[in-house]
Formats: sequence, structure tokens, C-alpha cells
Amino acid sequence: MRSAIVIASLLTLGCGSDNPVDPRGGGAGSVPLNLVGNGGVSERFTGEVWVSGSVAYTTTWGTRATAPGNAVKVWDVSSAVPTLVDSVIVPGATTLGDIQATDDGQLLIVATERTGGSIMIYSLADPVKPQLITQYSTPLTFPGVHTAEVQRVNGKLYAFLSIDPGVGSPARLVIVDISTPAAPVQVFTAVMGSPYVHDVFVRDGILFTALWNDGITIWDIGGVGGGSVANPIALGNVRTVGGDVHNVWWFHNATTGEKRYAFVGEEGFGSVGFSSSGDIHVVDVSNFATPREVAFYHLDGAGTHNFSVDEARGILYAAYYNGGVRAIDVKGDLSSCEAVNKSPDGRCDLAKMGRELAHGPDGVGPVYVWGVKLAGGDLYASDMLNGIWKLRTVPVAPD
Amino acid sequence: MTFRFTTGGRQFEMRRSPAAKLLPLHLIAAALALFSVSARAQAQPANLFEIGAQAIGVVTRESPAIHGRTLTEGYLTQPAIMAQLSPWGETLSLKTTLNFEGATLERGELNAGIAGEGYIDRRHPHTYLHELAATSAWRFGSDAVSGVSITAGKGFAPFGTDDPMARPFEKYPINHHLAQILERAVAIGALRAGRWIVEAGAFNGDEPTGAGDTPNRSRYWDSWSGRVTFVPWPQGEFQASYARLKSPENPSGGGADQRKQSASVRLEDAQRSGYALVEWERTSDYDRSTRTFTFNSLLAETSAKYDRLSGALRFERTDRPDEQRLTDEFRTAIPATDVSISGRSRWTIISARLAASLVDARSFTVEPFLEVARARMKPTFQPSGFDPRQFYGSDRIWSLSLGTKLMFGMSHMRMGRYGVAIAQKPHERMGGMNMEGM
Repeated sequence: MRSAIVIASLLTLGCGSDNPVDPRGGGAGSVPLNLVGNGGVSERFTGEVWVSGSVAYTTTWGTRATAPGNAVKVWDVSSAVPTLVDSVIVPGATTLGDIQATDDGQLLIVATERTGGSIMIYSLADPVKPQLITQYSTPLTFPGVHTAEVQRVNGKLYAFLSIDPGVGSPARLVIVDISTPAAPVQVFTAVMGSPYVHDVFVRDGILFTALWNDGITIWDIGGVGGGSVANPIALGNVRTVGGDVHNVWWFHNATTGEKRYAFVGEEGFGSVGFSSSGDIHVVDVSNFATPREVAFYHLDGAGTHNFSVDEARGILYAAYYNGGVRAIDVKGDLSSCEAVNKSPDGRCDLAKMGRELAHGPDGVGPVYVWGVKLAGGDLYASDMLNGIWKLRTVPVAPD
Repeated sequence: MTFRFTTGGRQFEMRRSPAAKLLPLHLIAAALALFSVSARAQAQPANLFEIGAQAIGVVTRESPAIHGRTLTEGYLTQPAIMAQLSPWGETLSLKTTLNFEGATLERGELNAGIAGEGYIDRRHPHTYLHELAATSAWRFGSDAVSGVSITAGKGFAPFGTDDPMARPFEKYPINHHLAQILERAVAIGALRAGRWIVEAGAFNGDEPTGAGDTPNRSRYWDSWSGRVTFVPWPQGEFQASYARLKSPENPSGGGADQRKQSASVRLEDAQRSGYALVEWERTSDYDRSTRTFTFNSLLAETSAKYDRLSGALRFERTDRPDEQRLTDEFRTAIPATDVSISGRSRWTIISARLAASLVDARSFTVEPFLEVARARMKPTFQPSGFDPRQFYGSDRIWSLSLGTKLMFGMSHMRMGRYGVAIAQKPHERMGGMNMEGM
């Protein structure tokens, strides 16, 4: 009898449910983003989105039914409904996690995972027919390039590659000079991230690295002192609440010129199509040496992924997986709020402050939004389940 | 020097020749064992040296194995040598199991629904050094059963049920990674007081990443487990156990942690002709202190032996994490690229086995067998990033395996416990190849 009681007690330990909260509705005052059109993808899971002119590019992820994530979809987005005009297949790839065109629209860079890890550099001489220039792969890009951020530093074009950890090979950052696209040259590499480095953000000679449990580290690569792309100098670090730091956006307020805040995406646990978790963390980076978290945005039942910021209007658009897209007012002082809008640790809660402006796409069934991209006055969202959405932006900027 | 052997009820002696005096006795013993000579010492409860070996040749046909395709493959699976050296009886014993699946099973063995260590729907090979553990035990009390023991080395953490290799079926249950914690650097203390056994152990949380992998030294002792066993009768035992593992699937640390629970009832008659096990497991993943996903398993299996024939049945219902697959779709990334999963599927598998011992002499067993399994699976999350019906082309998978198991002195072996935590009385230990009088 006693043994039965002991066993029954142990059986009941840890009972619980993993049914998530439905995150689809908007917060108080949040309005639906107007839906313009959808370009459907049903045979593959859609990954990241990039828009250059009237052409959008979406990547693909993992395996859906029998199709691997080896395709770049090319969309004509000049009309209301995105129209698929081409698919570029990357042989052997299982995931194309990241994609970005250069600022001059001449090149398209695609990160590949689990094919040994590489970046594919395409010519966009014809934007709807990307032509492969080269595939860059070295032992240091093994086992996969999770993201590839392409930015100019002092006029020269670089790709910042976040490399997945493998067995016996820790996560690392690799910086490649791609100013000669046919012959990329590695200029820097370093092990970083615990256990991942998932993404970076580069602006004004400052590099932000998203280091998962190690938070974000800010580096000088020529913006403030003696650092360079080949010799980044760490300026400061902050570990945001919850860790799982996935991505960063250093916000330059186009109206005030203020460069005080960095938005940090926390990619918590989730199950594709079903659930996600992780908040947006607002870090005051006015002093690079002592960055500190001052605010956050939380959505029950969903977690954030990639960002696109309308810096002129002060609106952060965040992909929120099963929570769709959230538009958040990020103007003004995000570090000050009434006590009722603060978390117990003193951070301002942007949701409680009523800073969620809009959400979407609304009324379309389940979504799982990976990325967002503002372009041409519209907002494009890549949805792992449904392809690409074209949405109107928040109609009127808040006061 | 004389060896006395008992085999199949017959006794005989072997005298050491003058020429043999030139050879180390232990080498002779090992060679004899490998050539399947069986020996059992007389009237000695503790044996100096025991050794055994096994291997299974099997052909498996699985339909559909992937994308609507039927696959038929053959393997040499579970090739292993097991030995135990006890120079001072239970005061000090050394147990080792060498597993050669790394050489014979690198692509993995078709086993619908199983997942772990970078393999999915194929069982991964185990490490070459499966087990190497030193145990020191002291008995007290009048029952010669109570006692304490300590164990250190590489092997099984005190958690869950016996290793599937020591159970009736050739095909592993898919709850292997929910129900056992193995191939770790372990330090275990055990106490037996009459019918109760209590164990606690510390070990490295990281799972092996390949057949040649060894426990990551920087991860030693970052995880722990405990097990309580109640032995109401010699043929029955109840166990409940709990474990906390740090980052098992990310060898450098920093990945999702796990908290595991197990409870089971095991019965086996004195003649070892009938056996039954009912087990329940739950593993929850944790991102820091937040519980993320939970995976449950319920398994019942039984076997019976009549003369040379044996049969077994198994029912299993187990939840599996579905993860992003690689170019080889039977593999997943180790470590994963984040803490998310593609989905979770629930597998219900019914398996049956028939076997016959064609040769069973001098601890040498040849056992042809036939196993049939039917798996049915469905996603437990909707929408899901993994739809079994779409991926496999069906929501049911049939598996047929035909093979032969060869064993040398390893019958009645159990795997997963050390020292006084072994539920049998001391003189009921492994009936393998024993050498005495050397």
C-alpha cells in the first residue's frame, strides 16, 4: 500500500498542460492591419522575406510533407496580390533561413543551413531571375549559416554570417568581404554565443551580436574608436531577461535623431504552426558600455521573431509567429511609465502602456509569421504556413 | 590447476596442461569465453570472471518507411561483449559492455517512431564503450540482501527501466530516451534495506554524439537522478525514479534542460519462463525554469517461454518530438539550431514476437525470431510543422523483422543497475560464463 502511494505520488509530479493561450486578438486599442493580398505557398514552409522594388523574395524552411526548404520564391508584388514568378532551387539545402538584397539592389544573398553551410550570392541584374554568382562555403561555415546580414561599412560591402554550432564546433561569427561577389574574402571570425549566435545588426560602424543566453554584445567596427570589421572591439554587453536572444534592431528615430534604444527579439520555445514564446526587450544603448534593459513587450501565447521598423513614424513591426504581426508604438521615452505599467523588476510593459497599435493578418485562419519587411509603403509578412502576406501599414501615426 | 564446469546439467573438469602454464590464465579464460565454452563454478556465490557476447543478424522490411516508400534493410545489430571481473567478490567488481554498433550500424536501424542522438525513425548506434563501471558493495543484516554500494565509471544513471537490449524484443521501444539514461559518466550510491532499494547518482547531462564519443568532461556531474525500488517478492519489483538533466541535446551546454519521471512494475517468474513489464515515463523540456513541452510514454510488454519456443507482445504509446530533418531525412541536427520543435506526434505501436531456441547448450544460444509491429501516429498539435500522414504517406507503418540472435553466456542478463540495486539476490546474478579456481 505504501509503495502504491509513493508511486502514485510520483506519477502526479509535473503534471501540466501545453495547450497555449490563443494570441490572435489584438490588445486594447489595437486595430487590424488591412489585408491587401496573399501569395500562397502550401508545399513548403516559408521562411524569411525581403523586398526590393516591386519584387519580393521568400525563403523556405525544413521539410513540409515531402518538400525540403531548398527554394527561394520570387514574387511580383506590384499589384495587390503577390504573384509567384519564379523559384530558385538550391540543391542539397534543407533550410534557407535568411535572405537579403544589397542596398543597391544588385545582389541577393541567401544563407543555407545543413548543407555544410554557405551563402549563395546571386546577381539581380534581372530581379525576377536571380543568377548565381558564387556559393561561398568554408570549414568555418560548417554546419550551417543561420543568418547573413549584408551591410556596408566605410563603403565596403560585407556579409556577417552567424554560424550554427555543431558537434565539436561552437557557434561563431564570420565576416566576409563581398565587395567582389565572385570572390568573397573572410576578414574576421570568432567563437561567440551561448550556445548560439543567431543574428547581428550593423549600423554606423557599430555591430550588435545576438548571443542567445549571453544577451547582446555591442562592438565597435569603426563607428566610435579603433575597431574595424577585421578587428571588432567589444564595447558593452547586456543579458536581457529570459535570454534566448535572437535578433536586434538599433532604432534611429528619424524625427528626433535619437539613437537611444535597441529592440531585442527573444526567440523562446515553440512548435511550428502551433505555439511560440518570447518577448521584445527594449535596451537603452545610449551608453554602449553600460546597456540596460528598460522595457519589454509581451504577448500572451505567442513569441516574437524578426523586426522591421518604420523609423520615420516610430512604429516597430514585429513578426509574432502564431500571433501574426504586431505594430508597436516606439516613439518617445520607453523607459518611463506609471507604476501600474511596470513589471516587478521595474521595466516598462509596452503592452500595458497601450503601445500596441495594430495586428494582423486578421480573420485568415492559423498563421505562423516568420518575418516582416516594410517596402514601398506596404508591409510584407512571410508566413510559414501560408506564404507571403501584403498588408497596409498602420494608417495614422499615433500622436 | 583444475577448472570445473557445469553445462546443461553435466559436470566436467578441465586440467591445465604444462604448455598452458606459459600463457596468462586470464587470456585463456577470455579465449575460452569467446569460443563459447560455458562454465559455472560450484558452490561459489561470487564469480571471479564472467563474460558473454551477443549479436543479432536481422532483415527489416518497413512500409512505408518514408514518403510512401517501402524499405528493406539488413543489419548486424546489438553486437556486444559483456564482462565482469570480481577479484574480491562484491567488495570490488568491474563491469564492462563493449558495443560495436558504431561499426555495423552507422546509418542507424529502421525503427519507426524512434528518435534520439541525431537519428529519427532509425535507432542510433550506441557507443563502443557502452559501460565500464567499478562497484564496491557491502552487505549487512541477516538476509544477505541488505547493503550499500557505490559505483563509478561510465554506464547507466539510476533512472527508469532496464535497457531494451536486455529485454525480449529486438526492435527497441521508441521511448528509449524517455525511459533510460545511459552512456554517462556516473557516480552512484545505493542502499538496500530489506525490500527497499534507494539509489542516487550524478552524471554528465550530454548525450553521446557518436559511437566514439565520450562524456564531455566539462559536463561531469551537472545532472542527477534518483530511483526507489520496492521488491515485495523475489519475482516482482516496483520502481519510481526522477531525473534532472542539463542540456542533454547540446553537448556544450546551454540547450533545453529535461526533467524526467519514470514508474514501473516488473514481474518475472523464478524459472524465467514468464516476464511482464508495465512502465510509464514523462519527460518535460525546460527553457531555463519554464516548462516547454512534455512527452509521455506508456508501455506494457510480456513474454513467455515454453520449452524451446517463446513469444512476446508489446504495447507502447509514446509522444515524440518532431524536429527539423537534414538532407538525410533519417537524421536531425545535433545540436538543434534553437529550442523550438516542428511538432509532437503520438505513436501507438503494437509488436509481437515469436522465437525458437534451436541450439541452447553450454550457454550458447541460437534463436531465430520473427517480429511484427504496427505503428499508428498522429500529431498532437494542430497546426503542426510535422504531419505524419503527409510525411510518411500514411498514418500507419508496418514493420516485419526476421533474424537470428546469437548469445554466448548472456541469458537472463539485466542492464541498468549496479551493486545492491540489482534486485536479485547476490547468488542469482547473471548466468554467464564464469571462471573459478584460477
